[in-house]
Amino acid sequence: MALFGDLNIVNTTDKRKLKNVIETAAHLGYSTVAINHVVNLQEKKQEIGKPTCVAELFTSPPTVQGKSKPIKIITRLTVVVSEASHCNELRTTSPRTRLYDLVAVHPKTEKLFHTACMTLDVDIIEIIMTEKQQFHFKRPPVNVAIDRGIVFELVYSPAIKDSTMRRYTISNSLSLMNIGKGKNIIISSGAEKPLELRGPYDIANLGLLFGLSEGDAKAAISTNCRKALLHGETRKTAQGVVHTMKKTEVPEDKEEAPASKRARTDDP
Amino acid sequence: MVRFKSRYLLCEVCFADPRSRQCLEERAVFSGVRDAIARAHGDYGAACCAVSFTVKYLNAYTGILLLRCRKEHYRLLWSALPFIIHLESRGQRQPCRISSIHVGGTIRTCQRFLIRYNRQQLLRMLPGCQSEEERASVHRAVLSCSLKQLEEEGSSRDEDSD
Repeated sequence: MALFGDLNIVNTTDKRKLKNVIETAAHLGYSTVAINHVVNLQEKKQEIGKPTCVAELFTSPPTVQGKSKPIKIITRLTVVVSEASHCNELRTTSPRTRLYDLVAVHPKTEKLFHTACMTLDVDIIEIIMTEKQQFHFKRPPVNVAIDRGIVFELVYSPAIKDSTMRRYTISNSLSLMNIGKGKNIIISSGAEKPLELRGPYDIANLGLLFGLSEGDAKAAISTNCRKALLHGETRKTAQGVVHTMKKTEVPEDKEEAPASKRARTDDP
Repeated sequence: MVRFKSRYLLCEVCFADPRSRQCLEERAVFSGVRDAIARAHGDYGAACCAVSFTVKYLNAYTGILLLRCRKEHYRLLWSALPFIIHLESRGQRQPCRISSIHVGGTIRTCQRFLIRYNRQQLLRMLPGCQSEEERASVHRAVLSCSLKQLEEEGSSRDEDSD
């Protein structure tokens, strides 16, 4: 099957723990892993900081089980928004968010979910898993998000830890499946410790519990992750057509990215 | 011809504390998995999987586990495995993780896969060897594992030692 990806590994200040988690992910067979920096703007004095330098973590990244390539580590930012003023950080022109490869938003209210689907410049929308969702999903914003190439994320580590969280997870994901028909869904771990990770085939099976069909569940851990990655790249490089690189002597001229990379449809 | 078809789930058990792997017992795993199925799928799940559910093989050194269940209900069992967070053995709870690596229809296919998997694991361990003796012993282990040899010996199911 295609490459597996786990796009949510919570960033901790303890480097050894983070290394352990990433090594476990490589052992289980994940080819791509994203270190997630969560920013909750409601708490005071929380700012979007710089992402951790990936090269500092590993001198030589661990090889993926079953393949000969080393694991690919990228950075991701998740902004938890509960008020409309927090969305200012997520505009295209915001300087800090450009440093991250992937940008995700975790909306807490219906209006913010609507804004995130329609207008905000993000790659991933995280669905609440730890409490009963106060609002129902509506079809129009979900369809617009799918057209824009935005991916919905289900996090499974609360479900593993606690039984009531399991119920909320399954009920929230089932309501999303009813509306979105299982398109553009990824399942990721949200793991803080290496024991909270699960293998990709186990997760594909969990997808069946969450209401996905078999093909959708397998896509949720492989092709849709790649979709989110490419969407993040297009955000950095002006819709995937232009890719600029900094060179020391002469600034590189614009080179066309290959057509196969342009996976998402253009914005109207 | 009516034949009972089963599915064999080959899993790997990982512990937080590597030493507690040696306390692994078949009974502990059996009751742990059965309770996890009851919690995840309720009475229906517990009843379905109780029909022909056994722990066929357990290797405490490598943490490899082979479970058998009926073909009709193997997905119930498989989907309950990620929810296991600890195993009880000798009155102590050891936090662990069970990840499945292969599903097979017969024990022999699982055995073939396991030999290939163990060979891959040995090759992954090779760069991390500290001394020449370790390297030599890993080399010997890799060269010595083959299915033909095992089939000549009989139906014994022992793998290479770590």
